[in-house]
Amino acid sequence: MKVNVTIDGNLINIEDTCTILEAAQNLDINIPTLCYLKEVNEIGACKMCVVEVEGRDHLVTSCNTLVKDGMVVNTRTERVIKSRKQVLNLLLANHDIRCFSCAKSGSCQLQDLSNEYDIVESVYEGTEANIPPKIENPFLTYYPELCINCQRCVNTCHKVAGNGVLHNAKLGTRTLIDAPFGPDWKETECESCGNCAEACPTGALVAKNKKNYQPGRVSKVLTTCPHCATGCQYYLVVRDNVIVDVEPAKGPSNKGMLCVKGRFGSFNFVHSPERLKHPLIKDRESGEFRQATWDEALDLIAERFLGIKKEYGPDALAGFACSRSTNEDIYMLQKMVRCAFGTNNVDNCARVCHSASVHGLAMTLGSGAMTNPIGDITSDVDVIMLVGSNPEEAHPVVGMQIRQAVSRGTRLIVVDPRDIGLSKQADVHLKLKPGTNVAFANGMMNVIINEGLADEEFIRTRTEGYEELKKIVMEYTPEKVAEICHIDPDHLREAALMYAKAAKAPIIYCLGVTEHSTGTEGVMSMSNLAMLVGKLGRSGCGVNPLRGQNNVQGACDMGAMPGQFPGYQKITDEAVMEKFEKAWGVTLSKKPGIFATDVFAAAIKKEIRGLFIFGEDPIVTDADQNHVRKALESLDFLVVDDLFMTETAELADVVLPGISYAEKEGTFTNTERRVQRVRKAVTLEGEMRADTDIFTDLMNRMGYNQPMLSSEDIMDEIASLTPSFAGISHRRLDRTKDGLQWPCTGRDHPGTPIMHVGKFTRGLGWFYPAEYVPSKELPDADYPFILMTGRILYHYNTRAMTGRTPGLMEREGHSFIEINTEDAARLGIKNDEKIRVSSRRGSIVTRARVGEKVSVSETWMPFHFPDGNANILTNAALDKFARIPEYKVCAVKIEKIDEQIFEDYVN
Amino acid sequence: MYSKTIIYKNEMNQKTMRFLDRYVKRVKGNPPGVCPIAVQLSFLQSARSQTCGKCVPCRDGLAQAEIMMRKIVDGKADMKTLKDLTELCHMIEDTADCAIGYEAARIVLESVELFKDEYLSHINEHRCQPEVGQKIPCVSYCPAHVDIPNYIALIGEHRYADAINCIRLDNPFPTACAFICEHPCEEKCRRDLLDSPINIRGLKKFAVDQIAADQVKVPECNVTTGKKVAVIGGGPSGLTAAYYLSLMGHKVVIFEKKEKLGGMLRYGIPNYRLPKDRLDQDINAILSTGNIEVRYNVSIPEDVSFEEIDKEYEAAYISIGAQKGRTVDVPGSKADGVYSAVEMLDSIGHGNIPDYTGKRVVVVGGGNVAMDASRSAIRCNADEVTVIYRRRQVDMTALPSEIQGAIEEGVELLTLNAPVGVEADDDNKVTGLIMQPQIVAAYKAGRPSVAAADEGVKVHPCDIVLMAVGQEIYSEPFADYDVNPRRKTFEILPTARLKTHEKYFAGGDCVFGPSTVIQAVGAGKVAAINIDEYLGYHHKILGSIDYPAPKENDRTHIGRVHLTDRSARERKKNFEPVENGMSYAEAMQECNKCLRCDHYGCGVVEGGRV
Repeated sequence: MKVNVTIDGNLINIEDTCTILEAAQNLDINIPTLCYLKEVNEIGACKMCVVEVEGRDHLVTSCNTLVKDGMVVNTRTERVIKSRKQVLNLLLANHDIRCFSCAKSGSCQLQDLSNEYDIVESVYEGTEANIPPKIENPFLTYYPELCINCQRCVNTCHKVAGNGVLHNAKLGTRTLIDAPFGPDWKETECESCGNCAEACPTGALVAKNKKNYQPGRVSKVLTTCPHCATGCQYYLVVRDNVIVDVEPAKGPSNKGMLCVKGRFGSFNFVHSPERLKHPLIKDRESGEFRQATWDEALDLIAERFLGIKKEYGPDALAGFACSRSTNEDIYMLQKMVRCAFGTNNVDNCARVCHSASVHGLAMTLGSGAMTNPIGDITSDVDVIMLVGSNPEEAHPVVGMQIRQAVSRGTRLIVVDPRDIGLSKQADVHLKLKPGTNVAFANGMMNVIINEGLADEEFIRTRTEGYEELKKIVMEYTPEKVAEICHIDPDHLREAALMYAKAAKAPIIYCLGVTEHSTGTEGVMSMSNLAMLVGKLGRSGCGVNPLRGQNNVQGACDMGAMPGQFPGYQKITDEAVMEKFEKAWGVTLSKKPGIFATDVFAAAIKKEIRGLFIFGEDPIVTDADQNHVRKALESLDFLVVDDLFMTETAELADVVLPGISYAEKEGTFTNTERRVQRVRKAVTLEGEMRADTDIFTDLMNRMGYNQPMLSSEDIMDEIASLTPSFAGISHRRLDRTKDGLQWPCTGRDHPGTPIMHVGKFTRGLGWFYPAEYVPSKELPDADYPFILMTGRILYHYNTRAMTGRTPGLMEREGHSFIEINTEDAARLGIKNDEKIRVSSRRGSIVTRARVGEKVSVSETWMPFHFPDGNANILTNAALDKFARIPEYKVCAVKIEKIDEQIFEDYVN
Repeated sequence: MYSKTIIYKNEMNQKTMRFLDRYVKRVKGNPPGVCPIAVQLSFLQSARSQTCGKCVPCRDGLAQAEIMMRKIVDGKADMKTLKDLTELCHMIEDTADCAIGYEAARIVLESVELFKDEYLSHINEHRCQPEVGQKIPCVSYCPAHVDIPNYIALIGEHRYADAINCIRLDNPFPTACAFICEHPCEEKCRRDLLDSPINIRGLKKFAVDQIAADQVKVPECNVTTGKKVAVIGGGPSGLTAAYYLSLMGHKVVIFEKKEKLGGMLRYGIPNYRLPKDRLDQDINAILSTGNIEVRYNVSIPEDVSFEEIDKEYEAAYISIGAQKGRTVDVPGSKADGVYSAVEMLDSIGHGNIPDYTGKRVVVVGGGNVAMDASRSAIRCNADEVTVIYRRRQVDMTALPSEIQGAIEEGVELLTLNAPVGVEADDDNKVTGLIMQPQIVAAYKAGRPSVAAADEGVKVHPCDIVLMAVGQEIYSEPFADYDVNPRRKTFEILPTARLKTHEKYFAGGDCVFGPSTVIQAVGAGKVAAINIDEYLGYHHKILGSIDYPAPKENDRTHIGRVHLTDRSARERKKNFEPVENGMSYAEAMQECNKCLRCDHYGCGVVEGGRV
């Protein structure tokens, strides 16, 4: 209900759910606050925001007092001002005012208010105890003598990050913030996300980076985080052409939150001394690289690629796009491969993460992307079904939003072979045997159909193929599925009923679904489930793959795929082909290219001879490392365009130094299909060049006439050729707050937050009848354990970026393998002991992490670390549709070893 | 010297006393979670303020003790400070002339011993132990942690059904607790710092009097989990566990030995205190969740063996209560006419009201059961009813209001008399109770003990003796299930699971010994949560209530609304409820007094903790 309120003589008509503070803000009346943080800390503790309300005996805190009809408020009476001055005097009595040594000097709210209220030092004597600071955490510190006990950090940890590791402690009558940044910081549950530090109004709980600059002497550049595909918005803080810090922005997907990687691990690498600064050409005789000029390097590449093309045809060439790079880079890379190389052999690393989603959802729904926005599926939903996804580690800011939802009462179903962090909050956890997703989904559908919970109307009007599906899933009784999945049939029934009966319930899934030899069918099983209960095309529902890299969605959207032009326009579509030939002024190959994962086998067979790799390190990231190495060594000519001398680059004939996201303009498309801007923050010394310029130069040298274009121009070209991007331009993105979610088909089109509303992109949704097929390599007597691989919170993929942030390496710097306590006891393996892990493809030495996280006979490894790289073990068994490798299941054996072997191995 | 003036000179003292009344209130209202050493410091300060200044140990010693204590409170002390403090206090205790000095020192020394861990924490960790930290007084003192500020606010908005569902998020017995809860929530009500605690139970009663609990729809259960949990004993604890387990989606089977549910609420508490039809309202609501099956007249393990429970159920909750009345083993206690009070109440609970017309009844004991038995005896038309207790009236464990009610109804208290035998006639019929008069003596374990007085035994003539001297559990059938042979109660882990039997949990009177209904409810809820966890789930108990925004504190001092009883003359004639409810105006006045410690106090930190 709207009410009339008068504040300092100004009348406002406002909702009665507003506080006096909000009403004042609406009138542009400034009321000072210290402890107030909207919706997080409205506790009225500091009393800076007090105002006088006529008819009330006492001053009231405006931050948590609601307006009432007829209320008359005065915000700057003598009584109010006096009271605020008292507050500042009391706080300053216990606050170290040697501001010179404080990291927040210049951006401290206490300092600002003391200046505003003309208080130089307190009139009171201090009473605080002398408590030592906590400074051992590499990123965060807590200085008690600067703390005003406002509780913003504590409530941020509990309500925003949803982690709840910051507590209040007492010492007599004093309250202390029990910050977990002391010597035992690694043992605490603190994720070092730093959202608490962001909340601190003073220099008490502060990120160490803040010490490196004064707020007045830096510039800030709004951009998009380069780690996972959540698409967090933040500012790069730049001093003298050096990025010194990151500050969160209130982006649509991160709402002001960041994770440890985004906040602390996204700029050190930019300035790393290990950056490639010059083109390098390898001397074939000596095997050594030598510095070369750009002309030399590009001429050599053009000559060799043209030679291969001439001798073996264009399809002997291939290019891999970089899913970490911008849409504009990727568009130009695929254009180079198609126009200058003359082949469709272009792909990107979605092939090894979410290609199954792209193919699967395109087949069943018509569009291979997340259907609903993050905010939509984590607020006001009844149930969240999380399948094969550990967002607390891989998509931490999504994880935080799921934790928030659960704490507000959303039920959570976790389907995962491991006890991930969120399983502790799950109403029910289906601890599936790895590789049995299709059986699980069929079992769910069996229950739903048998319980009469299928949405018949939705099925009838919006889908096809239901009868075939039904026939198959009828065989997947809960008991049968329980046996396949190693779960309790009751858990399956409960999950099915919970999901089906919920008014709003999204499926959120990740690589636990896709990275299987049946990954595409796993994905289609997810869309089958959602269609069966009509949970598509509406708010709070949908099928939602959390994409991996920052721009892996964009890499697919931009046509870095063997069968599709930008915007998933098929090369087999004649009209499409004609459009691109006309626009690009060249005759294009009509033959679909080969998938990245097939390129390796083709290279060994000498079908592929020249390869251009842009920003990928498949030696480290792709399954079965020895096989990939052999393939790359078989090539006639390998070019790598990267920031660093990666293991893959070591094998190249020419290495080209590109530039990072912080040095270029462009766009990333996050997992929600949201196109957001990337902006140039710094220009570094060296001969590194914009990647689009490198591609343009090479195109011209290879005989395709490509004018030099700015990033903005390139996006205009993309928009002109891609209906789903037709309304997107840098100019428009710079004007919008929330980016644009494709499809955005025209300048006036607002973008599409929720897909498939009323109608599927495909027309009718297709129920794909998938049968459960076991993983390709199952444990046997020789290799009795299943090995799964995945990510951890503190690193991203090859660690090219996170490995260059020392604090992240200090937190987690080494390879490890999770083993069940029972197995460890049987093998006589202790926690943290060094052990040998071998598969049919190779053998590594790593450390055991013994616990209950994985089930008996199952193991799990992160793939980030070179000291025991999991991908030496993994199996490159490929999915039949998407050609995605089975990272999540291979068979290994585990052996005890003695210490010396380990030392030798590491050294 | 004699004073030669009549002019009154004690005005200052009078004023000080008036101030001290408020000071005492402040001390009494000490919130839960305060650092005990900080409290001891304030004690020392107040002791020092009382020194007359004559003797060195008190005058100067207490001052130095205070300085050292402050150092300890502030985390600036080391072990030497503590040693110095204790040495000094020993000296003060040894040498001070009067109680102002030596008693202060003695209390400090005892406290150092009592709170040793906290002292060490201050000295070594420079912080309090983790459990120190303020909590919302009413919520934390309620064993079931009911969200009291919010349900009071809902009552204040006339949203009685929502208030009942708010209570039911933590306690499915809003009606039973409205009648007979001992309301520990009121003990530390912050309102006591102003005037007096809010009548929280009275407000709850007002709410359930506006709309019957079984007319308020319970929240929808989670979808079925397919798991089955056995609950052994359908009293308040068992029913609470059953309620939450069923909301979580589990199927619950309650094995009830008797023909109706409710346990002691039905068969122990007389109807005049908790009317059976009102109890049924709670039970109906609990059963309305839909996942609960009750098997009446079934005893474990006689009718259903443990093996069967092991086989058919994923977990079990033992909540058999403490239903066996103890007797005093004195000569003649087997005489005809000696009964246990629990048996007598149980029989009344079953509808068999004995006729005591013309009988003289003696009730032995000083607890609530003694009051229930004596007041019931009055209602059974006894000629005279006497409660015989070996301590003083102030030492009785019965609620003062129950004692008062009994006296009003004509029960006579004969205190400081220990029963030593029963006198019987040749037919072994009771003719009197033999008592040994007692004298109150020195404190033992914190309360005054009694000893036989220097005079001979007396006989109190009577026809019926009702023993109300405690209860225990029927433990024999459960002997193999972690029953402590001495205490005759189950031994459990903090999660309520039995120490050696994985799938068995226990709670309520059979674990604590005879206690309050709200204790039993709290235990049942904790057990339900832990059973769910044990089964591998983390089901949420959901309720969607939109809570009203907290109102501003009303700082006016307003007297507490007390509930009144029906006239004793009338009420003692039957078993109809004795207590009157609050009027609307009274209820609104009480609601308006809530200081919303959940909002204005520590309840808003750390994401809103209990």
